[in-house]
Amino acid sequence: MSPDLVTALRAETPSASGDLRQRVAAITATTPPTRRFTLRRLLPVAVPVAAGLSLAVALAVGLNTAIKPPTGDEGSTGSAVAREVAPPAQSEAEKRPMPLGSAGADDATASQQRAAAPTPSAGRAQDYRATLTLLVDSTSDLSTTTQKALRTARRLGGYVVSVDYETPQPTDGVANVRLRIPVSRVQAAIVEFSGLGRILAQNTQIADLQQGLDQLTRQIRALEQLAAGTRGAERRRVLDQIAALRNQRAETRRQAAFATVDLNLTTHEPEEVAPPAGRFDRALSDAVGILVAELVIVAYALIVASPLLILLLAAFFGSRAYRRHADQRLLERA
Amino acid sequence: MRSSLADAAERHLDDVYRYVLYLTRDPHAAEDLVAETFERALRLWHRFDPARGSECTWLCQIARTAALDHLRAEDRRRRREARYANLADTTSELEPETLSPWLRQALASLSAADREVIVLRVILDLGPTDAGRVLGISPSACTTRLSRALQRLEEKVGSQLVA
Repeated sequence: MSPDLVTALRAETPSASGDLRQRVAAITATTPPTRRFTLRRLLPVAVPVAAGLSLAVALAVGLNTAIKPPTGDEGSTGSAVAREVAPPAQSEAEKRPMPLGSAGADDATASQQRAAAPTPSAGRAQDYRATLTLLVDSTSDLSTTTQKALRTARRLGGYVVSVDYETPQPTDGVANVRLRIPVSRVQAAIVEFSGLGRILAQNTQIADLQQGLDQLTRQIRALEQLAAGTRGAERRRVLDQIAALRNQRAETRRQAAFATVDLNLTTHEPEEVAPPAGRFDRALSDAVGILVAELVIVAYALIVASPLLILLLAAFFGSRAYRRHADQRLLERA
Repeated sequence: MRSSLADAAERHLDDVYRYVLYLTRDPHAAEDLVAETFERALRLWHRFDPARGSECTWLCQIARTAALDHLRAEDRRRRREARYANLADTTSELEPETLSPWLRQALASLSAADREVIVLRVILDLGPTDAGRVLGISPSACTTRLSRALQRLEEKVGSQLVA
């Protein structure tokens, strides 16, 4: 570059006229217009507000859960139904399978602990159902224990309703046995069954059938009185009704005479149940869960909107490049 | 430190005017564009960040946008008139008293792109970074563009002096 040319260029610099100076002074002396509410100004506020709101929601849900007491196992118990769910046996003595024929102090203690199931009422007709889940050591023990259970049921005057025996793997097996045991001996049966393995769960349900029986008896008596005063076809109809009600009453008595015992034998060790979390842990867990859910929603929205965003960005940068190129060509021509 | 727009206008009015005048070669249009530039600057003054460039650079960026709008409109007008009336180019030139005749003719023979980089780097004495920011190109590209523009100007001036 020639120094003379640069000097010449710098020496001949035009200046703004006085008129232009007055115009610009008048412009700059005015108050700038109020700033509009634009997206550029909204974003720095909206993003922290949205983040704060999502955090507040997560905290509110977490605190709400922490304030509420943990909901337990709320069994629905009707007026005529009593339900008891026994926790798994914890003591080492109970964990050991007890041989049926064994006797002694330990056995007596274990039997007392095992006989925690409610006793059926002797004077009332009841539908007695018990479920026992027992852990046995191996599939060979599973077979032996199943046979023992069947023999015990027969010995106590009961019978086998169904047996579902399954060993899908050599080391894993399940046997579900449904037995009917005379109500008078069901306590003894449960005690013996509980000695077949480690108790994982025990459930007993008692439904009262006596009210239904009494009602049937009253209906039968009323119909018998009615039959005494009728003749012919009407009397036969009443007698048929009486017979049907007597059958129904006999069926109910048979049902009440035997208890249903479901025996579930398994070789599968139950997974350790985590201790119930404290309030703080539950609040933290729920809050984190809500935050994760919010992040998932945001990520989902981004994934769904990303093709559109990419197109918009491409259009934006493309149009800007095209405009720059067009400007450059315009300047080359001008 | 950030000053008021009135102070910035006082300091850089001549720079902005020279830049727009070299770009358009039309003193009347340049005055209108400078006024428009400061109107826009008044609206956008809250966005000015001294850390991202000097006041002069920022004002020249606004002036360039206004000048390009003007040149686009002029280009459309010229093409429309050429199409319908077959008129000659009506672009006015720099006033005779503003520049020497030889320099005025030489600058008129250059493109606006060349004049633009010359005025930014030589007349306004902006560095390659600031000038590149105004032009929307990198500092090295700005230097290259200046070198070529001055080379062409020298050729034009030399040929005129010989003639």
